Amino acid sequence: MNFNPSDLQGVLPALILAIGALVLLTSEVFLRASSALASGSGPQGHSERPAGADRRYQAWLAAVFAALGLWAAVAQMGDPAAPLFSGAAVTDGFARVIAAVVCGALVLSCFVSFGYLEALRATRGEYYALALFSASGMCLLGQATDLIVIFISLEVMSLAVYCLSAYLRRGQRPAEAAFKYFVLGSFAAAIFLYGAALAYGATGSTRLADVANAVRLAASGGSPAGTTTLLFAAAALLASGFAFKVAAVPFHMWVPDVYDGAPAPVTGFMAAAVKVAAFATLVRILVGGFGEPSVALGPHGWQKLVVWLSALTMLLGNLLAVPQRSVKRMLAYSSIAHAGYLLVAVAAMAGAQPRADALEGLLFYLAAYGATVIGAFGVVALIERKDALAGAGDDLSSWAGLSERHPGLAAAMTLFMVSLAGIPPTAGFMAKVTVFRAAIAADLVPLAVLGVLTSVAGLYYYLRVVVYVYMVPQTKAEPVAGGHLIAAGIALAGCAALVLWMGIQPDTFARLAQSATTSFAR
Amino acid sequence: MVGPLHYLFLGAALFALGGVGVVLRRNALIVLMSIELMLNAVNLTFLTFSRFPLVKSAPTQAGFLSGHTAVFFVIAVAAAEAAVGLAIVIAVFRSRSSVNVDEFDTLKF
Repeated sequence: MNFNPSDLQGVLPALILAIGALVLLTSEVFLRASSALASGSGPQGHSERPAGADRRYQAWLAAVFAALGLWAAVAQMGDPAAPLFSGAAVTDGFARVIAAVVCGALVLSCFVSFGYLEALRATRGEYYALALFSASGMCLLGQATDLIVIFISLEVMSLAVYCLSAYLRRGQRPAEAAFKYFVLGSFAAAIFLYGAALAYGATGSTRLADVANAVRLAASGGSPAGTTTLLFAAAALLASGFAFKVAAVPFHMWVPDVYDGAPAPVTGFMAAAVKVAAFATLVRILVGGFGEPSVALGPHGWQKLVVWLSALTMLLGNLLAVPQRSVKRMLAYSSIAHAGYLLVAVAAMAGAQPRADALEGLLFYLAAYGATVIGAFGVVALIERKDALAGAGDDLSSWAGLSERHPGLAAAMTLFMVSLAGIPPTAGFMAKVTVFRAAIAADLVPLAVLGVLTSVAGLYYYLRVVVYVYMVPQTKAEPVAGGHLIAAGIALAGCAALVLWMGIQPDTFARLAQSATTSFAR
Repeated sequence: MVGPLHYLFLGAALFALGGVGVVLRRNALIVLMSIELMLNAVNLTFLTFSRFPLVKSAPTQAGFLSGHTAVFFVIAVAAAEAAVGLAIVIAVFRSRSSVNVDEFDTLKF
């Protein structure tokens, strides 16, 4: 394999994020504890560790590196697509949009995390470094076109996110959530890897392009004996590995526990960015590797499988969200439901004709959902702060009367709930419109109808939060999260602006998403 | 005579055993070991296909050696995964003095 240094420019966003993580880790060495006593005495009560040195610069530095990554991704937006590292990765419009969404989510998450960690006095060196590492893995996931590269990027992303969800490790809930996430995540990675081994057996290569050639050969009936069966088994295993990651319904059991137990800023980042990366890879594998329309639409094709997954995910995700009292858990089930809507777009990509529209819908939906959910978890983070380490989950009752105490927060939360429910004029509405339009173009009308019906059911539990915020009087006097509201305010204002902007002026972003649709055109 | 099929079935059996272990075993450490078993079953499968190829010629420049390189990467990643996994198990153990998976029930539906 020949290494071409100019290929590094193609992975610039991931490179910037990884360098940022290393800079942050190295900067720890030069920190001086403000008082030697503080680090010697054990932590009292719920504070994770006495704040020795001033680590507030880390959030800003991480945000700067994430913004640089965003800039690198956007700056490359118009360039032609090119293979990198002799076909192991690719730089194309799709990968750039994914990188831009991931970096944008990271910028917003840094602001959300800043106030949260400061209030808990839990700012430690590794937090932002881990976030940057995981984001660089996500950017690479968007670019990888080799099953082994996908596996490595997946693990770069996942290992960092496992650590992040265990970040407040003294509490029972974060540690337990991280363990569940770790076991099921590694289980899924092993299943994916077994699929990769079978694909390697059938084709003699782990490159997705070679897999696509083998699939085309199998479709014309000219492949060696046994390899067709191996290819089908490989497709099933690869897809179910990523069905775990995107939280499609038979594989969704970890989501509520992990989203509930992890610190709220981390949950927001997971819901937004991990989902983006996982869907990007699912599309690369299914459309880039097994995307031959005659195979995908055939009697044993993956379209049927994805249609069933998506129908189940939309139904169960929405139904199970209804009885939840904890807003965090409700958002976890809602994240499952949204995975169902995104799978509608994936199912629509099986045919060659609606593929471009469906891809545009998918990218728009991912960006819209990301902005909304980071904002929603940002508000949850402000409410949760006090209880985060004590081991109590949040409850709807702590949202009662929020509008009197913090009218700004209440308005922001309402906007995010309205967007998640898919009501105009928000990003969530436009996202659903584009996805369902693509589904109808792909002759998946029943799926689109089911999508609309389940989103109507979703109104109930989203608007219940709004009812608590505005109409239920406050029962106990709870002072919500004082101090450090500025950073969170910036993040929430940014999310709210994005949600409204994508809802009112969808064309601006839709044009970006369209630039990505050439990636899978034939 | 031991042929490729024997290795493939051994790999599949080990993978299934690992999967069953993750689901059924109650000790968190044995769950971690089961995951390692699954990854090593994958390694065996990769190596079998690399040593006894099904297709006549490999499409990439590296030929059938790419299966061997894949195994190296999997081993390295598995080591990193074990490090993180053990750290998380230690964090869990410190917060509740047990590594029995059945007792991890703070988070419920």
